[in-house]
Amino acid sequence: MAATKKIITDPLSDNNPITIQVLGICSALAVTVQMETAFVMACALTAVLTSSNLIISLLRNYIPSRIRMIVEVSVIASLVVIVDQVLRAFLFELSRQLSIFVGLIITNCIVMGRAEAFAIQNPPGKSLLDGLGNSLGYSVILLLVASGREILGAGTWYGMRVLPEAYMGNGLAVLAPGAFLILGIIIWVQRTVTNNFKDD
Amino acid sequence: MQQADRQLVTFALTICLTCSILLSAIAAGLRDRQEREVELDRKMNVLIAFGVDTRDERGRRISGEEVDAIFASNIREIILDADGNQTDEEPDPVAIRERRQLPLYLWEEDGEVKRYAFPTSGQGLWSTIYGFLALERDLATIAGITFFRHGETPGLGGEVDRDWFTDQFRGKKLFDDGEPVQFRVVQGGVSSRYPDGNPHAVDGISGATVTGVGVARFISEDFKRYNQFFEQIRGA
Repeated sequence: MAATKKIITDPLSDNNPITIQVLGICSALAVTVQMETAFVMACALTAVLTSSNLIISLLRNYIPSRIRMIVEVSVIASLVVIVDQVLRAFLFELSRQLSIFVGLIITNCIVMGRAEAFAIQNPPGKSLLDGLGNSLGYSVILLLVASGREILGAGTWYGMRVLPEAYMGNGLAVLAPGAFLILGIIIWVQRTVTNNFKDD
Repeated sequence: MQQADRQLVTFALTICLTCSILLSAIAAGLRDRQEREVELDRKMNVLIAFGVDTRDERGRRISGEEVDAIFASNIREIILDADGNQTDEEPDPVAIRERRQLPLYLWEEDGEVKRYAFPTSGQGLWSTIYGFLALERDLATIAGITFFRHGETPGLGGEVDRDWFTDQFRGKKLFDDGEPVQFRVVQGGVSSRYPDGNPHAVDGISGATVTGVGVARFISEDFKRYNQFFEQIRGA
């Protein structure tokens, strides 16, 4: 039971895919100008990662090891195309804002990394939880960065005004360097608080 | 072929087949909805060019039904041929792209045409930029412009779709002294080059010279195409 719980909670903090492993930061930087895009991106990644982990785990005893990674990529790519098509049909405006970044989930190291590191050698139930845990870890950071950027950049949070109308907005937060700064601060704070990384 | 190889090929083929059938089914199933969204987006952008407020007070887009309703009650679409004469041909996307057909949207109130809008598109730096341009009744002054699809660099050329850029076009002229004028997107700002202002120029986007030059060129060229029809209206 404790081990199962750890599968979910580990990626949230101690083994967070973004802040500890520093994977998948391409999309974390690109789609975090606003909460709305970050939220949809987090949902898209959650859908892809949990189902790819589940499918690959179900197939793990049949996948010939020589073509293992090609099969993993095929599964992930198919899932990403499905998510992209669904977004285009139901959330047209957002899918345009997310543009190529949904398609780039295929190359998101977190998805491939979890398939290789976990799903290929663990039973479906655990793999599903691992996928969910890592998606949540990714989502939490994405939403934190997006909160910081939207509040500093536009004075709003999820489209609602939180700072006075007079606030002009900070251009830096809207551009990529703002994302780097905020992500850097989050990593710094987390590593200081958890004290897991000490220089020898 | 060895047993293991045969298994490997069978597995690979099964995966490929399953994935492709699944994807085809989903793409086919969602096509109608996606096309409806694209069509709605086109109409929405015509409305934006005409200066209709397409956002409610919370900043959300108005619904598809409302767009259709405004479109039905105010806008008439006519098709011109390449020489600017009105035709009865059905709109054909390929002919429109090749400029053999020129669609023109008329904004009518009480049976009178108040504004005109047409699609305009052309090369930026990396991509084709698509938009709509609306003109006032005088067939010279820009009433509004919108760029809704492009693949320019976010933060640089990608700023073409931002309000601060498109808002500048309102009130500028594409036609002066009886003929079409070459429009300009000025790097460094209009006021630095033309201290007295210039009715045929807007401020460029820093770091996006080529995008700006492209926009200025294609809106001027598209205006000239439609101007053949406008001359008929002016003459009448």
